[in-house]
Amino acid sequence: MSGPYTSRPAVAVASLYQTYLVTRHTGRAVRLTIERLVEESPGPSLTVLDFSEVAVIDFSCADEVVARLLHDAMSRPATAVPQYFLLDGLEEEHVDPVSSALERRGLAMAARMASRHQVLLGRAEPEAVRVWEALARRGRARADDLAVCLEGDAAACRRWLTRLEARRLVRDVGEAFESLFLSLAGEGGDGPAVSDGPPGVGPVPPPA
Amino acid sequence: MSRVVDVPEEMDHRGFEELLLELERVFEDEPARILLNARHVRWVSPYGLIGLLAVGRVILDRTGNLPSIEAPENRDVRSYAEFMGFWQAAAGIFDVPPADPRTHGPHDALLEITPIRSHRDVHTVVERVRERAASILEKRLHYPKPAVIQFSVMLSEVCQNIIEHSDADGWVCAQTYDYKRRLGREVLMLAVMDVGVGFQGSLAAEHARRYGESWSPATALEAALLHGESRFRDPGRGQGLQAIRRQVVKWNGELAIRSGDAQIAIVPEWDDLPPLQRGLPSFPGAQILIVMPARDEEGRG
Repeated sequence: MSGPYTSRPAVAVASLYQTYLVTRHTGRAVRLTIERLVEESPGPSLTVLDFSEVAVIDFSCADEVVARLLHDAMSRPATAVPQYFLLDGLEEEHVDPVSSALERRGLAMAARMASRHQVLLGRAEPEAVRVWEALARRGRARADDLAVCLEGDAAACRRWLTRLEARRLVRDVGEAFESLFLSLAGEGGDGPAVSDGPPGVGPVPPPA
Repeated sequence: MSRVVDVPEEMDHRGFEELLLELERVFEDEPARILLNARHVRWVSPYGLIGLLAVGRVILDRTGNLPSIEAPENRDVRSYAEFMGFWQAAAGIFDVPPADPRTHGPHDALLEITPIRSHRDVHTVVERVRERAASILEKRLHYPKPAVIQFSVMLSEVCQNIIEHSDADGWVCAQTYDYKRRLGREVLMLAVMDVGVGFQGSLAAEHARRYGESWSPATALEAALLHGESRFRDPGRGQGLQAIRRQVVKWNGELAIRSGDAQIAIVPEWDDLPPLQRGLPSFPGAQILIVMPARDEEGRG
């Protein structure tokens, strides 16, 4: 990848326009629409998937709309400009299908619940979750600043931040790392409100 | 040659098995025409109702002739079949006169018999049950509010199973009733059936070689329900049934999936269905039964 891209990504909100996000067929159509929206941005982009109008999302549709979308974005060549995604306005009932779909593909995505709490959904190591939460609370920080969440191990903290960046869960802005939620701050988003008990985060076993 | 097949008096999932046994015997004579005699049916469940449709379709495919069906004499059963839309669904499967559109008033069916042919039908079903599910699950069965959404998700996934894996049309219906004898309380029963390729047929290309000689309808059911395997290599596939299984266990409910000559079941302590049955009468497609028992007033299962 040619980054770090220090300028803020272009933020686009993708309203899902459906009360009932059910069936793989519907999910595929929604994903293709979002992908076209994302491709319109020549530089780094942050696409917010707005769940505020969604009453029901099933597992198949969650796989197409959320997990496949992220999977395909991460499968692009390493030289491609990065594409980031956030989920917004999720209700508790959305969490299981979305988180399960991400877990099945070994992915994770940041989400802001309708209650405004920020959580990481999908599959992430416990250390990664701790670092991600610490950064989400601060908005922007250097690895050294966050080391306290890993018992002062700044090198480990930097490794996790780098891995989180590779998974499109935080942004490397050169001197520091930035929470994706910070990019929303200039787009009418509000400050960080990280949940103490993130729902839907499934830890993965540590690497062998 | 014509043959008469008697429909069991209690036409539920157990009655369905009796009917298939009888049908298997009758098919041996290769009759040109078959009459299903349902006159003595005293009780029928949603599973039994769409089971009759599935049996009718299989007879039609096997003999090339529309089977006949004698309507139940029992007034309650007749009226129930009417308001669940059995006779509308039976047109084109049985040799029956076209049924009038349903004219009955409001009733407590969660979902009348609905054909599933495309993803649009799944949308229709999910949207149709939302309001009724809220009323039935929350008020009558004392489920917490999120259960209404979770039920919609389950319904969607189980119906999609037909579209994605059966290569054939299917039916769904759901109804609450008093399950006094077995459980002593009300239950919600959801039944979904198709007469397509079945789990073994659906999974064969991707998984049969790995299982070798042990590959059968039973191993195919285990692969799908217990291991989340799918006909597709995509890791995102196969999670629907897994999710249904988790949800049914959480609700202390029952899930039974029949396909080919086997049935696999997630069985709660209140029932005695065997967890895995082999050597049942062979029948095409997949037949799925989900039973959700009422919770107590405090919402406990």
